[in-house]
Amino acid sequence: MNNLKQRYRYAFILLKQLVKTDFMIRYQNSVLGYLWSLLRPLFLFCVLYVVFVKILKTGGDVPHFGVYLLLGIVLWNYFIEVTVGSLASIVNKGDLMRKVNFPRYVVVLAGSFSAFINLMFNLTVVGLFMWIGNAEPNRYAILFPLVVAELFIFALAISFILSAAYVRFRDIGYIWEVLVQVGFYATPILYSFSYITSKSSDVAKIVMANPLSQIIQDARHGLITDKTTTLGGVFNTHYAYLIPLLIVVIAGVVSVLFFRKASPSFAENV
Amino acid sequence: MNENAVTVRNVSKNFRLPQERANSVKSLFTTIFKKRNRVIKTQKALKNISFEVKKGEFFGIVGRNGSGKSTMLKMLAGIYQPTSGTLEVEGKLVPFIELGVGFNPELTGRQNVYLNGALLGFSEKEIRDQYEDIVSFAELEQFMDQKLKNYSSGMQVRLAFSMAVRAKADILLIDEVLAVGDADFQRKCFEYLANYERKRQQSSL
Repeated sequence: MNNLKQRYRYAFILLKQLVKTDFMIRYQNSVLGYLWSLLRPLFLFCVLYVVFVKILKTGGDVPHFGVYLLLGIVLWNYFIEVTVGSLASIVNKGDLMRKVNFPRYVVVLAGSFSAFINLMFNLTVVGLFMWIGNAEPNRYAILFPLVVAELFIFALAISFILSAAYVRFRDIGYIWEVLVQVGFYATPILYSFSYITSKSSDVAKIVMANPLSQIIQDARHGLITDKTTTLGGVFNTHYAYLIPLLIVVIAGVVSVLFFRKASPSFAENV
Repeated sequence: MNENAVTVRNVSKNFRLPQERANSVKSLFTTIFKKRNRVIKTQKALKNISFEVKKGEFFGIVGRNGSGKSTMLKMLAGIYQPTSGTLEVEGKLVPFIELGVGFNPELTGRQNVYLNGALLGFSEKEIRDQYEDIVSFAELEQFMDQKLKNYSSGMQVRLAFSMAVRAKADILLIDEVLAVGDADFQRKCFEYLANYERKRQQSSL
């Protein structure tokens, strides 16, 4: 029992220092430093606003479409930052793996936490534009932390699988790059979901069963406007939430089992 | 209580070394489909090793390059898993496979002390308490707020060793890391270790 406590103490200490280090190095040698964490989503909003709200007008009848887009992109970017960042994290720390026996999962967890800090900065900017644009948060906004928690777990699970598989098969890097591209267009990030529903309700169901679509649409539904189409709306039943939740749970269990099985041989294989 | 600090029984370690034969695009494709054709060479690094180290004992391993000394140490440290056989370790083991593991050249000396300390299992508070000692042992008082990339290699090693000796261990694994710094600093290190040895019941390899 004491031994167990000692082990997690080590993991915790290491996690804290790795996240701190990552944060210290991130904006090194830049004049504005941490300010960039806020400036990046700010400029992103400007670009989105000009391109999609003023020129292309892909929003259709969605109110507050600028901040609606921004929230979607911010959540999606978090997912990409975690998964792509962690992909090579084990391999990049190979030198360390070969010399110190520390819990391997800490490396992946650290990447996930530093991306999470970044997400908080981004959400602050989203909040700012919600306030400026008079968005209409409603009672479903209470569920937002749960939605973020779901995103956190899903991104982490995928990261564990990717980073462990990447040690043996470097092809995973290219495969994931392609999948990310597909995912970006298969998820209602840049377009209004009603565009899909108007074409085919079957396609709409498939797109919505993706946990990322469900997460992004639920977040928008609670924070921006209750006119957002959600999973319950597409399937006409709230039991449909079992599909993405089940995907997340399965990904979580598989990732833990897989990572535990693969991690003892990381030192030899990287 | 077990008398032995370290017990190694019939340990063998094989490394599987895949032979890279894909030197053209065509052979790359053929090797994918003819998986059996891919030669995997097995390197038998250690074969049937058994030994015991009593508590409070110094234990040295000598051998030629590539004879498996470091592999043995890495298995004791839990970095490699043995192919067969068992290893038992009683008490907290700290490996000095290499000094300054995890040092980041973009961070200052001070920040590296905290990062390296975490790898050795020290919390921030524990490091803060012995920070002065670490710095004065390394004789680097004026340089702690400089980035590590501006340190000379001797300075880096001094800082690394100063960190390493902080580790509270029952068993110390040392892999050719004592050839450190100038003559003065070396004497200091050996004195420190000899002292340490007397104070705590421990074993070194």
